[in-house]
Amino acid sequence: MNPEKALKLFRSPLVVVNVGPKSFATAIEKQGYETVQVDWKPLAGGDKQMQELLVVLGY
Amino acid sequence: MELFARIEKGKYIDSLETLFSATVFNEQPGIETGNIGMATDSFKDISKELGLLTDEIAALSEGDYVIVAKAESKEAFEAAIRATEAVVKKSSESKNDVSYGSPMEAVRANPHANLCQISVPGEYALEEVKKALDAGLHCCVFSNNVPLKDEREMKELALSKGLLCMGPDCGVANINGAALVLSSINARGPFGIVGASGCGIQHVAAILHEAGSGVSQTIGTGGNDLKAEVGGLMMLAGIDVLEADTETKYIVLIARKSADNVKPKLLDRIQKCTKPCIVFFMDCTKEQIEALGAIYAENLDDCAAKCLSLIGKECRFETDEELWKMASEAVRGMNKTQKYVRGAFSGGTYMDEAMHTMEPLIGDIYSNAPLREDLRLKDSYVSLKNTCVDYGEEEFTLGRPHPAIDASIRRPAILREASDPETAVILLDFILTPPGHPDPAGYVTGDIQAAKKMAEQRGGSLAVVASVLGTTADFQNIDEQKKTLRDAGVYCVSTNCRAAKLAGMIVKLKKEADS
Amino acid sequence: MTVREQVEAANKRVLDIFTKARPIWRDVRPAIEVIPGMQKNLVLIPGPPIAPENLPIPLKTAVSGAAVHEGLAKNLEEAWQMVLRGEIKVDAAQNYNCSNAASMATSASMPVFVVTDETSGGTGFCTIHPGASPRVLRWGIYGPDVEENLSWLRDEFGPILGEAVRKSGGIDLIALLSKTAGMGDENHNRQPASSMAMALALIPWMLEVDHPKVKENVAWLAANDRFSLQPLMAGIEGIMSAAKQVPYSTVMVGMGGNGIEFGIQVAATGNRWYTTKAPLILGTFLKPTTTKDDLLGYLGDSCVTEVWGLGGMGAIAGPTYAKLTGSTFEDARERTERARKVSLGEHSFDPVPWDGYRGTPVCVDVRKVVAYGVLPISHGGSGLKTGGQAGAGACELPLECFKKALIGVGEAVIR
Repeated sequence: MNPEKALKLFRSPLVVVNVGPKSFATAIEKQGYETVQVDWKPLAGGDKQMQELLVVLGY
Repeated sequence: MELFARIEKGKYIDSLETLFSATVFNEQPGIETGNIGMATDSFKDISKELGLLTDEIAALSEGDYVIVAKAESKEAFEAAIRATEAVVKKSSESKNDVSYGSPMEAVRANPHANLCQISVPGEYALEEVKKALDAGLHCCVFSNNVPLKDEREMKELALSKGLLCMGPDCGVANINGAALVLSSINARGPFGIVGASGCGIQHVAAILHEAGSGVSQTIGTGGNDLKAEVGGLMMLAGIDVLEADTETKYIVLIARKSADNVKPKLLDRIQKCTKPCIVFFMDCTKEQIEALGAIYAENLDDCAAKCLSLIGKECRFETDEELWKMASEAVRGMNKTQKYVRGAFSGGTYMDEAMHTMEPLIGDIYSNAPLREDLRLKDSYVSLKNTCVDYGEEEFTLGRPHPAIDASIRRPAILREASDPETAVILLDFILTPPGHPDPAGYVTGDIQAAKKMAEQRGGSLAVVASVLGTTADFQNIDEQKKTLRDAGVYCVSTNCRAAKLAGMIVKLKKEADS
Repeated sequence: MTVREQVEAANKRVLDIFTKARPIWRDVRPAIEVIPGMQKNLVLIPGPPIAPENLPIPLKTAVSGAAVHEGLAKNLEEAWQMVLRGEIKVDAAQNYNCSNAASMATSASMPVFVVTDETSGGTGFCTIHPGASPRVLRWGIYGPDVEENLSWLRDEFGPILGEAVRKSGGIDLIALLSKTAGMGDENHNRQPASSMAMALALIPWMLEVDHPKVKENVAWLAANDRFSLQPLMAGIEGIMSAAKQVPYSTVMVGMGGNGIEFGIQVAATGNRWYTTKAPLILGTFLKPTTTKDDLLGYLGDSCVTEVWGLGGMGAIAGPTYAKLTGSTFEDARERTERARKVSLGEHSFDPVPWDGYRGTPVCVDVRKVVAYGVLPISHGGSGLKTGGQAGAGACELPLECFKKALIGVGEAVIR
């Protein structure tokens, strides 16, 4: 793979977007790194019929 | 005691948070038994077991949040909820309370964001990874149970964008000094690691740290990367990246098994690599690896030792002689009935390593993930002769976090095994990581002491052997964890492999003494 | 193009229709003259269509009262029997680009605002706000005093207003909302600023009308601080009539309640309704003796303002309303932030100074509501089961409607 973007990551201050439990972000913050929390819920609250529609229609 | 329930429809809280809440909730005064969670089938099953399932809860869907308890009074129930909320809030306090609806929104508001850590249920991982990649973020995907075709798709998309996609099922990655997911905190150093085993990466990196060296970056590819369907895409990409990274002087590669269509590509890439490679592939011979011009490692301890020798450092593990000495001391007080080892693991790779290490000494080992299919346990809660159980297996962790985070999953094993008069040795691993239990050793020392007492009351002596994976930089501090264990009478040795060897030696010596 | 791309393109068009609209109030005319499809024996009700026998008491009274007002029947009971026999027809106003505030019913001779969106060409309609009296048809009350009010609107105030607005050359509602942005109106349940601005724009022209009672009519207009709601509802109906012509779009283009059922409409399927049990609007009550059990479900079409990004969606623009109904400034902010999470854009004419000068969110996408489970919050007045206003407050829009709407769009566009 072209390493350019990975090298850019390695040379920049790490800022982590956390998609999932907040405690993972807290664990990274405690080490002194910046995090950004994304609230995640299962798509359409887990409703399978809605999920199938959303895959086709987008959201 | 009366049953009380509070239901909030459509409120989603991850199981990681609800489990912590449930633990705190059950410690509150006036609560006999309580449960907190999303009303999934497994939540309902557990609630039923605890006698907490009402018709109302049974009728809920998995998008509904439930707090239920047998409590002294309505007031006690409400007070316990308030107290729990206060504790939970404090534990997840962070500098900012702002949150976003999607990675793209997060990046728009925080243009310097460069990596996305994703730990959603496996079936949703592809969707979230795509969003993160589209937002230009490298990904570290902790989600497991991701379909292989999804894994292939996300990795292909990542590579087409020139981005890393570590995982799915990536347990360990250290980027720019940060310990992501379940990694240990490590010092920076000249070794770049790419591995398809999180535990393996963490093990080698921790030894490097303790020897005064460290890692440039560690890239966990996820355990399925080297399967035929995925094609080793991230292992190959990881080598490319570390080869180009000027901070990385040596490249360490760790894998259990690679598919037939992947291995040649991988070996070819190693041969072409312009930096020294230290390779621990469980399915490659010394000759195969050395033919590539790379350095062969026969196990994780050896891998770390070979790395250190390159920079004129060394690490010291207990010698076999020292272990034999410990073993003979351990068997001394045991009675006639004590014969077997019982391993209770939180790391799957560690259990594998332990069984491989012990088998030449003690023969067949039963397990929930055995070396041979005929040794599979019928019931993971009922041990047979020599037994090892991986508490990170799906049967224990479905809908629950990894045992490195939720130490309560493995905890009951200690007293259960100790209650069996045939148990001679209990073998344990402890894994340190920032999101993990703040004191995993201290959490079980009470049980360990009680277990030893049970054996003594039967006129015997129980040996408990353990290793701790982590560093002195970890919040739990490996030295303190080891001291806690030793103070509780545990044989705490330097690595998992050494611990397994000691356990095997104890069983072997006991057998010889009995015959 | 994939279905997904077609939906995105269609939603972009609807966002354009919503945000570039220029509704101009041009006239006031009897409903029968201007509403396409209006008939002498047709009464338009708020919310989704409903079988007459299921109408709640206040709407039953409003429909019967309108029929008596039209001279179709001598009294309420006779009117009701005609409704049950099908001699008087009842239909959902929003299917006619018309809307009814609260429990109002629109009949043939009632004067309605005629407001045309100059950008899309869509025209919408709405009856005139009857003033501050608690005894009005729009709260399901009918009697001699109510009839007097209806007749006065029809025979005197409506014609005067019509002539004045025609003389003025039209009142530009965007200019009006823009001028009063930052004055604390959320423009669904609270609009003193825009009503005042509207009165100021109208009065010079009303004074030009040759009618012996012009002064009294001007005084009445000046005293009505909710007056601007209805012309706005008419304008929004005009905009929605254009949006309902855009296939594939998943943007909400209509919503309302009849006290029993609440429903929404989506651009892709035009006048098709997606309904569920009407939720309760909770907040404060006018009388301390009123309880939740006395409340009728969601009632009225004035929430078309919400559909167009005002009211609860733009709650932060008028935080006083939140306070008045027992909520807080932060609640108001949360309402607007929620709407932002499920909306496709923001208005440019109503920057809110205390919200970073951002406009209110507009174009609720049913896909986003279902996907994220984020339910927009609507403001609203609440009605009593027996008739009359109960209070005012807010409520979450029911997810069920949005799920049904998504299925409906799926049926229409996935082949």
